[in-house]
Amino acid sequence: MKMNLLRRSLIAAAVAMPALALANANVDAAAPAFSATTADGKTVNLADYKGKTVVLEWTNHDCPYVKKHYGSGNMQTQQKAAAAQGVVWLQVISSAPGQQGFVDGAAAQKLNTDRGAVPAATLLDPKGELGKLYGAQTTPHLYVVKADGTLAYKGGIDSIASADKNDIAKAEPYVTQALAAIAAGRKVEKASTRPYGCSVKYAS
Amino acid sequence: MLSFLRLPLLALLAAPLLALAAPPEAATEHVKARLVASHSAVAPGQRFTVALEQDIKSHWHTYWLNPGDSGQATTIAWTGAEAGPIQWPTPSVQAIGPIVNYGYEGRPALLVELTVPADAKPGGRFQPTAEVRWLVCKDVCIPEQVTLGLDLPVAAEAKASADTAQIDEWRAAIPKPAPFAVQLKAAPQGFTLSGPTAGVSKAYFFADTWGAVAHSAPQALKAEAGGWALDLPAGDEPVAAGKPLSGVIVLMTSAGQQAWTVSAPMPEGAGKGPGAAGVEAPTAAPAAPPQSDLGLLPALALALVGGLILNLMPCVFPVLSIKALALVREGNHKAEGLAYTAGVLASFALLAAVLIVLRAGGQQVGWGFQFHSPVFVLVVAYLLFLVGLSLSGLFEIGGSIAGVGSSLAAKQGLAGSFFTGVLAAVVATPCTAPFMGAALAFALSQPAAVLLAVFLALGLGLALPFLVLAFWPAAQRWLPRPGAWMDKFKQFLAFPMYAAVVWLLWVLAQQTGPDGVALALFGLVLIAFGLWWRNASGASAVGTVAAVASVVLALGVSVLIKPVAADLRAGSANEAAEAYSAERVAELRAQNKPVFVNLTASWCISCLVNERVALSRPEVKDAFAKAGIVYLKGDWTREDPAITAVLKAHGRSGVPLYLYYAPGAAEAQVLPQILTPGLVIEAVSSPATPRSST
Repeated sequence: MKMNLLRRSLIAAAVAMPALALANANVDAAAPAFSATTADGKTVNLADYKGKTVVLEWTNHDCPYVKKHYGSGNMQTQQKAAAAQGVVWLQVISSAPGQQGFVDGAAAQKLNTDRGAVPAATLLDPKGELGKLYGAQTTPHLYVVKADGTLAYKGGIDSIASADKNDIAKAEPYVTQALAAIAAGRKVEKASTRPYGCSVKYAS
Repeated sequence: MLSFLRLPLLALLAAPLLALAAPPEAATEHVKARLVASHSAVAPGQRFTVALEQDIKSHWHTYWLNPGDSGQATTIAWTGAEAGPIQWPTPSVQAIGPIVNYGYEGRPALLVELTVPADAKPGGRFQPTAEVRWLVCKDVCIPEQVTLGLDLPVAAEAKASADTAQIDEWRAAIPKPAPFAVQLKAAPQGFTLSGPTAGVSKAYFFADTWGAVAHSAPQALKAEAGGWALDLPAGDEPVAAGKPLSGVIVLMTSAGQQAWTVSAPMPEGAGKGPGAAGVEAPTAAPAAPPQSDLGLLPALALALVGGLILNLMPCVFPVLSIKALALVREGNHKAEGLAYTAGVLASFALLAAVLIVLRAGGQQVGWGFQFHSPVFVLVVAYLLFLVGLSLSGLFEIGGSIAGVGSSLAAKQGLAGSFFTGVLAAVVATPCTAPFMGAALAFALSQPAAVLLAVFLALGLGLALPFLVLAFWPAAQRWLPRPGAWMDKFKQFLAFPMYAAVVWLLWVLAQQTGPDGVALALFGLVLIAFGLWWRNASGASAVGTVAAVASVVLALGVSVLIKPVAADLRAGSANEAAEAYSAERVAELRAQNKPVFVNLTASWCISCLVNERVALSRPEVKDAFAKAGIVYLKGDWTREDPAITAVLKAHGRSGVPLYLYYAPGAAEAQVLPQILTPGLVIEAVSSPATPRSST
């Protein structure tokens, strides 16, 4: 119980801290702990997934770069492949109320049903706390946390920064590569890449 | 159309030319784009300029080469012509919440050099096509795309277009290579970019690749008389050591804003910044060795020269002259020269070691820190008093003090030389700050080994003239002939020593109040009495013991000395000064009042000189009064962690530091360490520079 309380206050402090600046999650360091509400109203902690690989995907369904990857089916394919490997895929929506991409839980679930997206959960972050804790800058912006809780990857979904679907096949799929390396127990070769896309629509 | 007739041939050569020339203008929902050519007729093989002008809907923006945290640079894919890289005008900062982007609002023009194919035939047409893509954002982002084209007649002789002047105007907005060199130095937060431009009030560096610099982090400017330095935190993809960091530096001076392209090799050991721990390791390129010491070598050279100059300081010169006069008298002095050098170097090494230990213990240390201790001030005062008495002829230095317990004359001489070196180093320290500020500030921010190297270079500089005299008999000929004048000269030199003692007692008075001064003066009397007793007893053993005992007793007095409570004496020079505190500054700035901050210490000679010659001059006081400036003075005579932190924040390790906060200015303007009335008046009368628009 004592441990729990301590951990909880640490988490609270960690979430409350980055009120102003973008914090930064560092590759090879422990991924910042968080507690967040999902689209179906549950509370999840990063710690709940200890022992599993976790993918965090910042998203904004109206952003052209997000549309590139959902419209082409690329994102759904990656989500399915991840689920099949036992990887927990979490969408994060950090758009502030009134900003592009902001949705409530029901709308977020409907979007995923319509698009055939299969994340393990969608985290609602309208205050941008989780986004700022990780330093999420773009949609999409992806993070991969290893089973031991260390951050193994952060950056873009692939190597070609464009909103053009035709580029997906030509691009180096960074997240797929990272997940493959982790599954094989290898070091992730490109562990920090340039994220590309729309800016995360934080309340400014 | 004529070109239609050539279709079969052209289709083989260049398929895109198949199409009719694309229009030079096109509009999307947010941007009107057009191509503007510098020539209305082009010649085969000619290079000419084409501008892509974007007329962007207000409040929307497109992106620069490096778009920053998000966004995407505009691209132009040419067909039908060989095209150079895009020449980008100076971008501006677009901050959206915590995300920082680099781009353009309004009507930017990107320039490209096109080359007409050498085999183009006069009489034909030159019809290159540009596929232009951009991302345009406000709170949301829209990728847009247009196809633009030129349709120009090919002629034997090129003809400039009516738009040449417009293109020249656009070209003026494109930063040129800097006419000066910039340096990159490793720093804890990442690296520091510096250049020689004077009077910079604002600066911003746009790295031209993503991740080289953390885009959203503030870039702290240090402007000094000799130039500017900008602290840059490393981003998520730092430049490897030895590889160049390049980009655009924007400098704001009283002459206006200027932008230059700059590039400098990344030094070894640059901080990784907050976001990139452990990313780089496996692929770090081997750095070219000559580049890795860029910061260290100038600092060492500066320290050496600074040490040389120290020899001329009023506090050091008399000490030196004791030994120099000895050289005139005797023959071979190589050993003495070496002993003296060893004494100087040992002292500086000790000083460096103390600094390293203090720093390792987490102490905020700055140069001149020794003088924070009243005991140290008192000990130096005693020391200078003893030197003065010795010069006055009361006793022989080296023979009695340093050589106690030693019977061999030669050994006494060497020990004497060694301790003269120590003495020179000790009395030199108060004089160091004004000349050595830059090198010492550099040293204090460096690893222990570098710090030690800089201090040893300083010591070597101090010892060098004596060393040269000792080893190079020819130089000794430059010394005046020995004679009776030497004793008179020596006695005369006692007076600068006594004056220095008076100054130190005045410093002590600031630190400890009248009681401390009384104790110190009593100690001086004791020392004089002890020495007189020794002389009166014919330098007998008893007398010597008495002399030593009196010195020890005098030192014991120092234990009684207690610093008085921190009440600030604003000093007679500036009755109008208020006591400095960070809270007071924040309060005044919130009220939009101009604030001038003077961080000083009574042991800091250049601080006092600046107050006399500049800050307390009537014309400066008038300027302050006219502008309604609130004058705050912070006293670092005793260690004050709050002031040490402010010094550090502005890249200084010691006082003086002069800051001027214009009303509404985002940051303080840092004034040089040597002030003139004109300089101060100019600084406080120039209008606040507005923040760059976002």
